[in-house]
Amino acid sequence: MKYAMLVYGDHTAWEALPAEEAKRQRAESMPRWNAIFQEISEADPGWLGRELAGPSEGKVVRVVDGLTVVTDGPFAETKEQLGGIFVAELSDLDEAIRLAALVPSAEHGTLEIRPLGTM
Amino acid sequence: MEFIALVYDDPAGWERMTEAEQASAMEGYMAVSQEAAAAGVLVSGAGLAPTSAATSVRVRSGEALVTDGPYAEVKESLGGYYLFSCETMDEAIAWAARIPSAAHGGAVEVRPVHVGEETAA
Repeated sequence: MKYAMLVYGDHTAWEALPAEEAKRQRAESMPRWNAIFQEISEADPGWLGRELAGPSEGKVVRVVDGLTVVTDGPFAETKEQLGGIFVAELSDLDEAIRLAALVPSAEHGTLEIRPLGTM
Repeated sequence: MEFIALVYDDPAGWERMTEAEQASAMEGYMAVSQEAAAAGVLVSGAGLAPTSAATSVRVRSGEALVTDGPYAEVKESLGGYYLFSCETMDEAIAWAARIPSAAHGGAVEVRPVHVGEETAA
């Protein structure tokens, strides 16, 4: 089964960190991220993983009466914002949960797991 | 440069559509995939199962907390994504505007993919 793992975190808190501290925290968590990339790539060599630019860099696109209307993002006004996505073929939901719990963001944010639909 | 188009929809709105409207929308999603692929712009894309099939995982004080359902109950939820490789945000926006949800009461959020020396995936 293919699953998407959606990484939600409080981006405002992250952006509020002094640059040096953000850099330090990122460097500190990199070995754990790399370990997850390694595990997922072993489970599915065709996996996809992307970190998104901050929510404020997003543009919201709607088409109204044939006209494209673009507003500044983010779309979802929730405390936690989508910050990254993994998509991989995994053996089952338990495996997806195990991997999700290894993601550093799960310690302060939320990992949402969704099977892929039929699009 | 890569941009992700996050497709937000109200599932109740989908249920209210007629079968013909749903079929037409599905064709629209497929058409974006096919045309973006033909243009060499599509990196990846997928639809997600509804939020009723979601599982949320949080780790607090070293304990994994697993709950059924999405991370937040919202009217319009993430229903799928397209990952585009484009030169500019404007180009990505033009592709996003062709996704049926943009015209059907939903919205498409276009976000650049983070690039930096730390990006490992």
